[in-house]
Amino acid sequence: MTRGSQAVRKSLGSMIGRSFRQVRSRKYDNERPKAKVEWADLIGRIASHGDRDAFRLLFEHFAPRVKGLMLKAGASGEEAEEIAQDTLLAVWRKAAQFDPASAGAPAWIFTIARNLRIDAVRRSARAGVAVPDAELEYFPDPADSQEIQIVKRSDTEQIASAISRLSKDQSTAIRMSFIEDRPHSEIAEALRVPLGTVKSRIRLAMSRLKDSLEELK
Amino acid sequence: MTIAHHAPEELLAAFAAGKLDEGEHLVVAVHASQCRVCRRFVRAMETIGGAAVEAAEPAPMSSGSFEAVIVRMEQSSPNVLQPSGHDSEDDGLPEILRHYRIGRRRRIAPGVSLRPIELSGKGTSRAFLLKSGPGTRMLEHTHTGIELTCVLKGSFSHVGGRFGPGDFDYGDDTLDHQPLVGSEEPCVCLVAMTGDLRMNGFFGRLISPFVRL
Repeated sequence: MTRGSQAVRKSLGSMIGRSFRQVRSRKYDNERPKAKVEWADLIGRIASHGDRDAFRLLFEHFAPRVKGLMLKAGASGEEAEEIAQDTLLAVWRKAAQFDPASAGAPAWIFTIARNLRIDAVRRSARAGVAVPDAELEYFPDPADSQEIQIVKRSDTEQIASAISRLSKDQSTAIRMSFIEDRPHSEIAEALRVPLGTVKSRIRLAMSRLKDSLEELK
Repeated sequence: MTIAHHAPEELLAAFAAGKLDEGEHLVVAVHASQCRVCRRFVRAMETIGGAAVEAAEPAPMSSGSFEAVIVRMEQSSPNVLQPSGHDSEDDGLPEILRHYRIGRRRRIAPGVSLRPIELSGKGTSRAFLLKSGPGTRMLEHTHTGIELTCVLKGSFSHVGGRFGPGDFDYGDDTLDHQPLVGSEEPCVCLVAMTGDLRMNGFFGRLISPFVRL
């Protein structure tokens, strides 16, 4: 550890040590926030008054999970660590942009990590070419009118119920194939089913999701 | 705008996961930005992405990781949007494309011209804006790879139907088609292409080298 970070650790200790222990004493360890609402709450606390205790809780929960997901999706240890750090830093910086009416904190954090990963790949390509941040390509919301808010909220609900119509097997297959980017053969092994079953399960799950979204429109 | 042709779910899922090749990513992004149906599908995949984060096996962060982030928090600088090259010809382009550098227009056949879009070069696909005059019959062609198209203006038709603004067309090597551009106005498309485009017929072979960019 460098002298700089020691100093930081020390000042952190005095800054947040006490109040953080208070948070802990509320047994966050045993019953860590499960509901989306609570993560959203913590993000809201960062947005409203730069609450570092809230940030620490988010960091401790999400940074290792983002790192774990990146590793599973094929990133190197160093890349995964960097993306996880950058993701949480972005959570801090963009807290005010988080929309509690959206799909929830984990989905928001997932999109931040995904965008950072795309940017890292683009920047590694060749110097000198200015390519935009991926964030700009995932339909940044227009200025939120009340009408848009209502549409968004009902979209979020419909999307959640469309996902809930998938069987556990189906959502696991989608997750492993697309989010974790694992080859079908590996999924077959992990789920102990034949390769053909994996392929048809993914296909079925996708069309089921699509149909549910259409029906709920 | 009524969108009749959507991006296939596998592409939308890969897009939501951030795994699409650069040029293809761009075409899907532009289509989905105009298509509520596809945007909802992408949102659903992102929600599953959130569940994947929650379900991920936590990997311990390096020691000093939290402190390092705190240091950077203190130096926090607001994100600044980088200005992009802009000329009058870019007016009317979808917002997403305005952040890209777009090259000069090149004529590739009578009534047909293209403008290359500058990508980072990490992917294997190329992306360009293709403009065809009203009523142009495009050269009969097949692909060795995949061609993704999003109509920005005007329309074209082929065996798959009629494609108007916002519509998404997926072409692969099974398709041997000859699109006909609608007679109402020039047609402008955003196209991403992997592999080579093979022109059929004498004239096609003649201009092929130019189309390969």
